[in-house]
Amino acid sequence: MADNPAVDQKSAKANFASDQDVRWCPGCGDYAILAQMKKVLPEIGVPREKVVFISGIGCASRFPYYINSYGFHTIHGRAPAVATGVKLANPELSVWIITGDGDSLSIGGNHLLHLCRRNLNVNIILFNNQIYGLTKGQYSPTSPVGKRTKTTPYGSLDTPFNPMSLVLGAGASFVARTIDRDTKHMAATFKRAAAHKGCSFVEVYQNCIIFNDGAFQSVTDPKIKQENLLYLEDGRELVYGADNDKGIRLEGLKLEAAALNGPESRNGLLKHQETMPDEAYTYLLSKMTERPDLPTPIGVFRALERPTYDEVFMQQIDDVTQKKGKGNLKELFITGNTWKVD
Amino acid sequence: MLQTRERPKPVVLPAYCKGCGRCVSACPQHCITLGTEINPESGLIPVEIDLEKCNGCGLCFAACPEPYGLTAYDPLMDLDESYLKFPDEDSSTAPVPQEISGETLPLPPVEPLMIKGTYAAAIGALLAGCRHFFGYPITPSTEGAELMAKLLPNLNGVFVQAVSEVATVNMMYGCGGAGMPCMTFTSSPGFSLMLEGVSYMIGAEVPGVFINIMRGGPGLGNIGPEQADIKLACRGLGHGNTHAIVLTPDSPQEMLDLTMLAFELTFKYRNPVVLLGDGYLGQITGKVKLPERMIKPGIPSWGVYGDDMHRRNLICSIQLSEPDLEIHNLHLNEKYQRIIESEQRADCFHCDDADTLIIAANTPARMAKGAVQVLRDRGVKAGLFRPITLWPFPIDILAPLLPKLRQIVIVEASNGQLEDELRLALSHAEIIDVPPISHVRHFGGVLPQQQEIIDRVLETIDTEVTS
Repeated sequence: MADNPAVDQKSAKANFASDQDVRWCPGCGDYAILAQMKKVLPEIGVPREKVVFISGIGCASRFPYYINSYGFHTIHGRAPAVATGVKLANPELSVWIITGDGDSLSIGGNHLLHLCRRNLNVNIILFNNQIYGLTKGQYSPTSPVGKRTKTTPYGSLDTPFNPMSLVLGAGASFVARTIDRDTKHMAATFKRAAAHKGCSFVEVYQNCIIFNDGAFQSVTDPKIKQENLLYLEDGRELVYGADNDKGIRLEGLKLEAAALNGPESRNGLLKHQETMPDEAYTYLLSKMTERPDLPTPIGVFRALERPTYDEVFMQQIDDVTQKKGKGNLKELFITGNTWKVD
Repeated sequence: MLQTRERPKPVVLPAYCKGCGRCVSACPQHCITLGTEINPESGLIPVEIDLEKCNGCGLCFAACPEPYGLTAYDPLMDLDESYLKFPDEDSSTAPVPQEISGETLPLPPVEPLMIKGTYAAAIGALLAGCRHFFGYPITPSTEGAELMAKLLPNLNGVFVQAVSEVATVNMMYGCGGAGMPCMTFTSSPGFSLMLEGVSYMIGAEVPGVFINIMRGGPGLGNIGPEQADIKLACRGLGHGNTHAIVLTPDSPQEMLDLTMLAFELTFKYRNPVVLLGDGYLGQITGKVKLPERMIKPGIPSWGVYGDDMHRRNLICSIQLSEPDLEIHNLHLNEKYQRIIESEQRADCFHCDDADTLIIAANTPARMAKGAVQVLRDRGVKAGLFRPITLWPFPIDILAPLLPKLRQIVIVEASNGQLEDELRLALSHAEIIDVPPISHVRHFGGVLPQQQEIIDRVLETIDTEVTS
């Protein structure tokens, strides 16, 4: 599904714009995500009527109203389950799950894990703003320890979830992170997610301007972000910093930041590999955000092809049909312990 | 003189041996065989041992996974019958659990507060001795939880924002099972999610107070006020034979008073209590007087409290034996009957001489009250009957008013769920002679207006006059 230069960008983007008034707060990071999605959709080569957006509950979950495609605004946390139903009923559809940190990681944690485990061929975009915005400012499963919100007036005690580690542990085959402020990177990440065959999980750092403004300042503030961001590229060394003067090494079982000065200092730098079958490396990458001395990686963490659920599901139906012949309901009714009473 | 210590030989304790046969394959001398006789104590078939070839190697002891199934013979062992049988439960030395009674303490007089409905309920819960709150944010109930989050930590209390309503209700199941007063604030979609746990709590007879600030449904609906969970609370509390007292306040003052009452009733009957507010009632601000007394709860005798005295207590809702479960249901039915006989509550406004009776609860009752006043000014003998308990429906209070009535008008923000409760209550009470019933209904967050109630009443009277 490469870029299609024949598509007239502008009109194609407008093609996905819906007639609904967008009801997010002025300045919300969601607008940027919506704009990039409308830009990317015409480029993935799937016609509008084959696209479905499915969401749960929360600010992010208003998304399907604003895209002119098929849409489902479903139950809190259950979008992955609804998406499973949609995809299995019609495997041809390009299915996008839009969710937030509250929706997918608290009440929907269970459904999210099993979606990743099964590797259903859908895309999940998780808007992570580390707060409950729709209910006006309570802490979420990604809020940091000590966070003061309306339901944690003395600071949160909960250890937050690391969404990337979580989905990696659940076996997600495509895992990526992007940022609402970096629109080019976001568009590229969405495109990669769409192209991936299997369950694609994308975490978007999204700023909630009203209830959690500046939560991701370290990676969005132009003055400091270069020192705090590590752009992942397949086959490229883990190098970061404004002057590309820092790198990441593996010391024992730990990642360490190293200053780069001279060619020798580049020895032993880790090289990013999206297709590493062993989770250990990718898991270490996912844990970098919990280390104040390491930068935040963004980009594609992992892109590993493995059989998708919808694929093996349809395959099994074909196999059973081939082995046992096409089913006949009338015959089925009179097989086994059935008899005729005169 | 050289002495050898004879190695002990195995002995089977038949009441404990499950006959798994691991010792059979472990024995190199083939002394042990699978048994043939059912042991009456355990209902299982213990192994049999022939010690003739036994050399005391001890491999069978190591193979036995049971703590007492097959063990080394010790001459000091008392192999009389009592050792070979299960311990007699009645001989347990555990003390009989006793109730540690609570206290009622005087509350120093303070000026009335001007607070919103959810805050009033939260304060009522604190004064009723609730120090455990579990909940999940949902509009329009969240402010109550937020106040609890602020107040509980320095009152030695627990506030937990659960990951969902499903988690919430099960936290309440645990806390209530420990004998502690606990509560939640939720709203319609959240209450739907809690119903599984509510059924378990009713089955296991665990107290807990659910404050449901009802909003528009079905499904996600909206966040406006509706009374569309009356059916759910009165008729559909999860699976099985379930009922709970359902309280319906109509003002911030009653949000406080009825929350306190809810805690009293939930422990009195060992049964959850549901308080149904509506979206407006949760949000409107009003004058709230605090009571003169507050409660310091004790520990009920059945609580799993974690002290020596309560260690016999077991909380569960499972009764695998059919006759036992029937007995448990008969016990619940007897409890429901006691509630029906003694807990009916209603507020009667100008009902004594009324020939036109408006029936309404929650916020719609406020519009209905206004309508009654206007109708009275116009010479219509109107009255308002406001149920404060929807289950049990206050039919015993309503019945004496019926003979004088020319009409009943039901005013509600739902599709007739209040009317259904009335009609069921009339039917169960075998009251056949009922005046014509009409209604004013709205849905989806729209509330009935005073003028349309007046119009509905006058329309019926006009029809009567012309015919």
